[in-house]
Amino acid sequence: MKVLLVEDDHSVGDFVSRELESAGHECLHVSDGDQGWEQARSGEFDVLIVDRMLPRRDGLTLVSDLRREGVLTPALILSALGDVDNRVLGLQSGADDYLVKPFAMAELLARLEILVRRAGHASELSTRLQVADLEMDLLHQEVRRQGEVISLQPREYKLLEYLMRHAGRVVTRAMLLEHVWGYHFDPQTNVIDVHVSRLRQKIDRDFEPPLLNTVRGAGYRLGDG
Amino acid sequence: MRARDVVRSLTFRYIVRYITALSATVFVLLALLYGVFSFNYFSDLRDSIVDELDALRAVYAGQGLTGVEQYLRDQRRLENIGRFHYLVTDARGEYVAGDLEVVTRYREFSDGWLGFQLALLNWGEPVDADFLARAASLGEGYTVYVARNYADAVASGALVFNTLFRAMIVTWLLGIIGGYVSARSTLVRFEQLNYDLIRIVRGNLAERLSMDPSTGYARELAVVLNQVLDQMAMLMQGVKQVSDNIAHDLRTPLTRMRNQLSQLRDRLDPGGQDDVDRIIEECDGLLASFNALLRISALEAGGRGPGEQRVNLVALLQDVVELYEPVASEKGLTLDFRAGAVAECAGDADLLFQLFTNLLDNAIKYTPAGGRLALELAPAGESIQVAVADTGPGIASEERDKVFRRFYRVESSRGVQPGHGLGLSLVRAIVSYHRGEIELEDNRPGLRVVVTLPAARAPG
Repeated sequence: MKVLLVEDDHSVGDFVSRELESAGHECLHVSDGDQGWEQARSGEFDVLIVDRMLPRRDGLTLVSDLRREGVLTPALILSALGDVDNRVLGLQSGADDYLVKPFAMAELLARLEILVRRAGHASELSTRLQVADLEMDLLHQEVRRQGEVISLQPREYKLLEYLMRHAGRVVTRAMLLEHVWGYHFDPQTNVIDVHVSRLRQKIDRDFEPPLLNTVRGAGYRLGDG
Repeated sequence: MRARDVVRSLTFRYIVRYITALSATVFVLLALLYGVFSFNYFSDLRDSIVDELDALRAVYAGQGLTGVEQYLRDQRRLENIGRFHYLVTDARGEYVAGDLEVVTRYREFSDGWLGFQLALLNWGEPVDADFLARAASLGEGYTVYVARNYADAVASGALVFNTLFRAMIVTWLLGIIGGYVSARSTLVRFEQLNYDLIRIVRGNLAERLSMDPSTGYARELAVVLNQVLDQMAMLMQGVKQVSDNIAHDLRTPLTRMRNQLSQLRDRLDPGGQDDVDRIIEECDGLLASFNALLRISALEAGGRGPGEQRVNLVALLQDVVELYEPVASEKGLTLDFRAGAVAECAGDADLLFQLFTNLLDNAIKYTPAGGRLALELAPAGESIQVAVADTGPGIASEERDKVFRRFYRVESSRGVQPGHGLGLSLVRAIVSYHRGEIELEDNRPGLRVVVTLPAARAPG
């Protein structure tokens, strides 16, 4: 994917752009809001990474300016800890996701993949989700595998819904915590794993092949990559 | 402050020692003065008696006994009554002339000096008086005695001595009282200094000793101690900065290494892949430590503080409990949640969630199967108290301060558990970021962590 990185902190900027390139992506790194504006307006990028605090044009302003201009390239805001205010939380500027510095590179990569993928197809309005032989009926809140109804707790249902919406992509523990429980941070514990393994018991134990896979060092993936 | 502490205080003992030395000096000086005074006095006394005897002998040689009798009468008329007293005896020792009678009880000193006592009229009252006398032979069996009363002189010497001695006692008493008062106030100031210093060292190193408006040594000491604290803070800041820089700089090569490992992994057979996976996990653990370290520093740097965002703590804690319920029950632990009231605080929900998940995570980690965990919320005045209690082995009281240090691992009582030793440091950083407090208490048995957060002000 083609990434525009707008970051004035050179050590973070160099680190991220180098890592993106070594992961096989193309990355352009600019270091202030005005340059970011000039580059992003072209619409050539698949995804934007924008630092919250930027010289000349603040990161949130940059994104909302772009949205007003009709540039809908998905954008991820990088924010300093303790600098996550309501505008970032609610992503009112029109940004699509945010990460608090410092972050693990695997986390950033996983989030970028999901942003790019989400922009690719707009299936959010559909009432049915399907991954292989696993189906979810969003209207009746019913889950079936190979036609058999699987009963899930509300939280397990939300967990599965998020995994199914991002099927084939790596979903990190932080992303699950954020979208299923509503809290944004990287849980350095196995607490999410316990929930996932309970869900796995229900959707995978009696069926073949297993759908919910653990991706070591990153998170989980439902279905094939 | 107890009187015993004052007496034991260094300043007080110093003052007592000083007064003792001063009194001894004064005493020796007075004694010496008195000795010299009386020696001179008696030597003058003796000289005057000898001169008088010489004079009488000269009178006798010139005019005989009649001349002497005339001389004695003249002396009395000259109102020399207080000075010399005379007695002239004949060869048999009988009274011949003079204002003294024959004395039978007397002491003989060396060199022919005699001492005796006689009643003397003093303002009409007879008073025993001491006399010093000497005899001289006049010839033809006559002997003349000249005596001088020295009672006054001795009395006045004693008076001087007495007065000074009393003055010394008064000096002593005043010195002790002054010493007590000054030692007391000095001690109070030093004790306050000590108390403040302990509070600063145990608690917030950014605080400084107050400059007591009353000047003096305590103030000078406070200034110096504040400089020491400044230097300490600077050194600690330096160490923190260095460790942050190390964490920051090592992340890049470590991430690169991790990525190269994961590329390598894909070219290996399953056995080799497992080995590499373990190394990758180690790398991730290290990266997580570095990130946690940088997060703690960012929180301690403070930023804008938690702001005005309101967080419903009851709902947040319910979410924590719901998240951890499966982990707890898998380990055979019961998890209770009691909220005594509706509670809101101003803060960052993500950070607060992280705070309580860290605490609950620890509690689950260290509590053996069958144990009980409790999350309790209760209002406490302007604050909200949240307690996370377990029935695990607890933390010894002497370790309670240390567990908040970066990378500190409790090894003895709780057993070493996986983790990077930064969990509680992060917890404390989050608590101080919210201007709250955290205390570790004994749950009898187990550990009880009490987090106190300022309650949100009523809207409007």
